[in-house]
Amino acid sequence: MTFWDTLLYDLFPLIWSGMITGCLYALGALGLVMIFKCSKVVNFSHGNVAGLTAFLVYGLSSGVLLSLSWGAAVVVSLLCAVAIAFLIYSIISPLVFESDLTSTIATLGFGLIAQGLTLVIFGADIVALDLPIPRFTVSVLGLLVTGYDLTVLAVAVVTIGTLFIVIDYTKLGIAFRAMSENPFAAEVCGLNLKSVHYFAWISAAILGVIGALLIVPTTFLSVTTVATFMLQAFAAAVIGGFASLPGSLVGGILVGILMNLFTFYVSPEYSSTFLLAVILVALNIFPNGILQKVGGSRV
Amino acid sequence: MSDLLAINNLTVSYGAGSSAVDRIGFGVDRGSVVALLGANGAGKSSIMKAVAGLIPAQGEVVFEGENIAAQPARARVARGIVYVPEGREIVGNLTVRENLVMGGYQKPAAERKRRMDMVLDLFPEIAEKVDRSAWRLSGGEQQMLAIGRGLVADPKLILLDEPSLGLAPLLVRRVFDRLRKIREESELAIVLVEQNLAVTMRLCDELHFLRGGRIVGHRTAEELKDETARQEAIDAFLGAAAA
Repeated sequence: MTFWDTLLYDLFPLIWSGMITGCLYALGALGLVMIFKCSKVVNFSHGNVAGLTAFLVYGLSSGVLLSLSWGAAVVVSLLCAVAIAFLIYSIISPLVFESDLTSTIATLGFGLIAQGLTLVIFGADIVALDLPIPRFTVSVLGLLVTGYDLTVLAVAVVTIGTLFIVIDYTKLGIAFRAMSENPFAAEVCGLNLKSVHYFAWISAAILGVIGALLIVPTTFLSVTTVATFMLQAFAAAVIGGFASLPGSLVGGILVGILMNLFTFYVSPEYSSTFLLAVILVALNIFPNGILQKVGGSRV
Repeated sequence: MSDLLAINNLTVSYGAGSSAVDRIGFGVDRGSVVALLGANGAGKSSIMKAVAGLIPAQGEVVFEGENIAAQPARARVARGIVYVPEGREIVGNLTVRENLVMGGYQKPAAERKRRMDMVLDLFPEIAEKVDRSAWRLSGGEQQMLAIGRGLVADPKLILLDEPSLGLAPLLVRRVFDRLRKIREESELAIVLVEQNLAVTMRLCDELHFLRGGRIVGHRTAEELKDETARQEAIDAFLGAAAA
């Protein structure tokens, strides 16, 4: 096999599929980062709540709870995710303004509750969530691209694009960026800090559900599937600097590609160890994330 | 009784120790400029933050006849009390325009736009850089942005905390010239905390002297017109701490 054959048949497909998975990690990471940026809380319930909502889609569309169409099930589950995020933030909001650490630990509790609820309602079985994702394969310059790949790419681009437009060009986005950088200035200007926090928590919940629903077709759905997926998203957020939205996007894609390459060329068994090593190296070289902020201050 | 703001028995405590502000009271009329003078730690900034609702405090803050002491900061901004903090506290990575939008966040879009245009007319220095990140502005421009951001909210009372801090004399004069212009053209009342007595005297109507969290003296600007009277008041009320 020539060098070019290796590139064409191994490396490029691995990079491509890693990029697709990375888009999903980025969706998860963006949610974590949004919450952290404005409320300084690391939301450890993110994965389990997204998992519970993915199970809701399964339950609502498979006859376990109801027999809705998949579209209706997704909409109802997204609304449930929004309601859960609203509820969690409403309960911990008094803590958020007192202690970042206490509220972070409180999210661990909510994660366990979400996981417990999933077990109680849906049991510990592994199930298949069959979303109507187009099943076709096309060859683009020798690279096999599936309907799943294109669906993930399209959903990720639309979702992330919409989020970035809201953050960059709307009044709410200005409030979010102001809160993230200088909460005191935001308060001085009369911004409702809680409203901005709600925006971040609810957006994160929606991103989490979308990521969870799109990762499930490549695995199966179990109580731990989405939580495990969110661990990779957490790594993406850390590599991105945990306070940078573009950083988490790049971090997600990087994690997806590196994990794919390592799993194929070295060993799938040590992929988690490898991921930790990548985080350590990235943090040592780029302590503020791979996209270190260009900016500064004048006095 | 002052017709805009009346503060009665205002007390601010940080922790269990002594009070940073101890049962003080003063009033502000519409269109007047009241200065708070005192050494570091006298409680000036704490008073400003307490009036703005940014820190917890005991006592009465009566604004336009209603005690607003229990209201959060955003409700006070909506009523027309705006605080311009010491150190400017602009949001560096937002553009000048976005910082101004923040200032008028509670206003309807059309009114916010009108107020922003007014502010940019008042401060042409920042109007030229409206799409630039705020951290790129010079210190004087940042101060203008901080004051301008406050003015976009269309305040009835603006609380200015050391606006001349860290600015060159020429810039201080420029900033205070604009404040004087605002004052002449509107009914805006100003509470001013300032170390620079010379510029304060040119703007204010009355001065309260603070020491150890208490008001220890009060003079009108008229009474302190000449240098000797001014020095005597400072010596009497603030002592060596103010020297």
